[in-house]
Amino acid sequence: MRRPLMTVAVASAAVTLVFAIRSGTSAGGSEYAGERGSATVAFPYATSPNALSARPSGTPGPIGQRPAARPGPETSAPAMPRARPGTVRPRLAPPAALRAPITPLAPPQQYYAPAPDGNHAFYFTRGIYSSYSGWGRRGGGSWSVDWPKSDRQFNIVLRRLTNIDSFLEPHAVALDDPALLRYPYVYILEVGRIALSPGEISNLRDFLLKGGFLFVDDFWGNNEWYPFEDAMRQVLPEYPIEPLPLEHEYFHAFYSVDEVLQVPNVGNARRGITSECPGCYPEVYGIFDDERRLMVVINWNTDLGDAWEWAEQPDYPVRYSTYAFEVGVNAIIYAMSH
Amino acid sequence: MFQTIFEFLFKYRPLVFTEGRLTFQSPIGIALLIPVVVLVVALAMWTYRSVAGKATDRDRVVLATLRACALAIIAFALLRPVLLVSSVVPQQNYVAVVFDDSRSMRIIDDDEARSAFVAQAFGPGSALVAQLEDRFQLRYFGFSASTERLNDPGMLSFAGSNTRIAPALDRVREDLAALPLSGIVVVTDGADNSALGMTESLLALQAAQVPVYTVGLGHEHYAKDVELSRVSTPRTVLKGASLVVDLLVSQSGYTGKTVRVVVEDDGRIVGSEEVTLPPDGEPVPVRVHFTAEEAGARRFRFRVPAQADEMVLENNEQEALIDVRDDRRKILFYEGEPRWEVGFMRRAVDADPNIQLVVLQRTAENKYMRLSVDDSTELFQGFPRTREELFTYDAIVLGTVEASAFTHEQMRMIADFVGDRGGGLLTFGGRRSYAEGGWTGTPVAEIMPIDIESSSPIDTLFFDSLVVRPTRAGQTHPAMQLAGSEAASRTQWESLPRISTANRLGPLKPGATALLTGRGDILDEHPVLAFQRFGSGLSIALAAQDTWLWQMIPPLEDMSHETFWRQMLRWLVNDSPDQVTVALPADRSSPGEAVRIIANVSDEAFVRVNSSMVTAKITSPTGQVSELPLDWTIEQDGEYRSVFTPQETGLHRIDVEAVYGDRTVASDPAYIDIAESRSEYFGSQLNATLLQRISRETGGRHYTPSTVSSLPEDLSITGRGSTVIEEKDLWDMPILLLLLLSMMAAEWLYRRRKGLA
Repeated sequence: MRRPLMTVAVASAAVTLVFAIRSGTSAGGSEYAGERGSATVAFPYATSPNALSARPSGTPGPIGQRPAARPGPETSAPAMPRARPGTVRPRLAPPAALRAPITPLAPPQQYYAPAPDGNHAFYFTRGIYSSYSGWGRRGGGSWSVDWPKSDRQFNIVLRRLTNIDSFLEPHAVALDDPALLRYPYVYILEVGRIALSPGEISNLRDFLLKGGFLFVDDFWGNNEWYPFEDAMRQVLPEYPIEPLPLEHEYFHAFYSVDEVLQVPNVGNARRGITSECPGCYPEVYGIFDDERRLMVVINWNTDLGDAWEWAEQPDYPVRYSTYAFEVGVNAIIYAMSH
Repeated sequence: MFQTIFEFLFKYRPLVFTEGRLTFQSPIGIALLIPVVVLVVALAMWTYRSVAGKATDRDRVVLATLRACALAIIAFALLRPVLLVSSVVPQQNYVAVVFDDSRSMRIIDDDEARSAFVAQAFGPGSALVAQLEDRFQLRYFGFSASTERLNDPGMLSFAGSNTRIAPALDRVREDLAALPLSGIVVVTDGADNSALGMTESLLALQAAQVPVYTVGLGHEHYAKDVELSRVSTPRTVLKGASLVVDLLVSQSGYTGKTVRVVVEDDGRIVGSEEVTLPPDGEPVPVRVHFTAEEAGARRFRFRVPAQADEMVLENNEQEALIDVRDDRRKILFYEGEPRWEVGFMRRAVDADPNIQLVVLQRTAENKYMRLSVDDSTELFQGFPRTREELFTYDAIVLGTVEASAFTHEQMRMIADFVGDRGGGLLTFGGRRSYAEGGWTGTPVAEIMPIDIESSSPIDTLFFDSLVVRPTRAGQTHPAMQLAGSEAASRTQWESLPRISTANRLGPLKPGATALLTGRGDILDEHPVLAFQRFGSGLSIALAAQDTWLWQMIPPLEDMSHETFWRQMLRWLVNDSPDQVTVALPADRSSPGEAVRIIANVSDEAFVRVNSSMVTAKITSPTGQVSELPLDWTIEQDGEYRSVFTPQETGLHRIDVEAVYGDRTVASDPAYIDIAESRSEYFGSQLNATLLQRISRETGGRHYTPSTVSSLPEDLSITGRGSTVIEEKDLWDMPILLLLLLSMMAAEWLYRRRKGLA
């Protein structure tokens, strides 16, 4: 087994212990009530434990088939046809419901995390974005999926594996908040229903062009891709979304990652499957600035956040949590040095 | 006037009394005469003492005194006083007449040029020359950059490009050393621009007892003139460097007027600054900002547009040759932990082709990330362990890394990197920096511009958010300029957001300068950026830990962060020397004038090499290449020297190559512009102070065109050479007769008034 894998595994065990002590749960227990954050009871903005059942299936193209034009393990990235700059594949018409005018839901103020102390080199910052439709509304929106346990566990591992002076507490900032500019790394997930307001578009664009870094995770299938792609087109219309080859520095910034894994959510992992939608393959895309520095890393058809969140569970496969931590750390090291 | 009255009363000019020696030549002898005089005076006083009647004692004293004075004057005359004056023997002695042949003699002060006086006073048929030739053998010289013997003053062209008085005096003294030289007459405006000391030449003249008679031409002040009197520029900069150049403008006749100083690079205006002219004679400093955009040897022209009725237009502009180098300078940024500063600093200077920011970042314990390295072996073992490896960099940036991450030898190397190699060191703030990082008492702490000995203990975490502003020195420092002018730059600084510090630094060390200070919630006026020269290098301390906020918070189009870091890093490497460096005394010289080349040679560890074969290759403007060997100077380790004399005008390129052992190392090219000097028009007013000093210290006299008529007689009396002693009678001085009559008249009037007559 590779050394990094062992290191991450050891760190994961440490997280388990630390988190168990902090949350009052046992490391190998089964108190968690589902995929999304029963261990976050201390936080009033925890998401619904039953959210899994409400989650849409996400079916890209014909059921059970991989979209013909999409690059994947079988299709080399350069061969991917490009309809126009910024398009990763031939554009499919989105469902009419998704294209209809929408009124984005503003993130509720109570989801703001406590103010950070300001004296740390790094803040793992979750981006609070506006979204539409019902899923997750009870919990405050899809931005808060896996919050805050996933973030906290990731921070613990980050601090253990690297010597980054990171802030250990969960930290979230709305994308339209000027304070976003103080935290150059932002993590967003479940962006399949993202619907950015003009303020969010403007602020996020400002953030990215000034040197900020956006890490996107946990959205599946074409139906979730389209809204996200639309959002990014509004934020950075002149910068295309491009496949990120494994040779790119990002994959080797701290750990050397030589394959892209599909990281399952905790429920699927227990059932031995990885994909949340038929024919969905994990892919990593990027958006580069004029100097070919990565501004955005997009992890599609994979769920790194769940791996961070459930890494302490003995039945969550260490292979996936290891991979999730590796790419998560790589992203931060890359962002802070490029 | 005074001289005329004096000469009427005392028969001779004051100079005769100054130079002469008083003696008495009475035929009856002083031994006999003095008792007689005393007897007569005593008799006169006794006579008055015995006078009775209305006379009071006071009257008797007054009358006796008056009579005694009259008798004393007669006695003085009877003693036959004479002045013994040493006077040159006619036609036995030589006088050198030395004329200023420089261009400044063409300047028209009143209605005619200074050179016109030379033609009138020393031309054919001139009375002055006739008087001189009666007494002396004359030898003529002309001087400017060099001194030449003249057969006739008519040979003067007044086209010389320099005024070098001291070498001219040396040359004349040496040429006429074998002759009885009565003196040297120097006819000049005294506008010496040689930058040579005068003292040695004057001491030599004193030793040879040769007086110098100076004739000053021109006015000490112009009625209307603006002069760009000084321009201070760096000799070499990196391409794209922001320059702040100090100029000095002086003027007369335009007080309060606003003029614009313009900077041109090859005819293209690259900067300008408005200045309000000060009162007459007071120079005003002007600071002009511009950027060196084009690489190569660039002639930058600084000028003030001509003003109405200006007397001298040539002194309104100056040129400076700046070698704008398109080098790629290498900086090692060692960061002890992942920080945003790394990414944002790289982002700021990535587009700068002249900076290679090599990053060695410790991402975990014993795990390093290397960025922008030349090859896979660079920094493979972490921070360099040998001088040879470390000294390949031009500068080091130490991020937040604790002292214990280095061996003592590595810390010693860092100190030597600055002190011996001449590199730049920037220590960056953070939780592992300065005292907080255990740097107290280390060799690196010795070279820091800030005393960290007295700062907070290392186990105390500190944090303060600071409003950062430039100090007065910072407002004018090139690296702190965020905009095109000083005022705009100050505004830009005021617009920047707060940043934070984790270090409570001590006071500045003596000799250090603070460029930025911060005021926070805890700290009051704390140094944030300070620097000092250490040895031949530069040491900068930056207490802040998140300057990247200057990139993220201001508007997207704001370039403050990029500008700040580009300028900081360029400043850090700008003076970092290569293994072989070439130094020239000036950026320009005149054709035919010797130019000294000095090369310094070091090995890879920057240890000076004395056994090198050093050759300079000189390429003239027409492409002619000549090779010149340089010799070790012995006085300085690694210093080699030679001289070449350019004949062509234009830009000369000098490349130096050093061979030691089996290695050959070449320098970056150096340039010198060979052109006719314009220095004659700067400070071209009459320098009477200098001329008076020359004449005073050598025993001569200073003249103006209106007083020069007495020069021949003065030379006769005060000149050296073959002399005879002349006796000049004083008994018949009109003043004696006047005094005698005055005493007698006074006595008579007093007696009449008192009714004693």
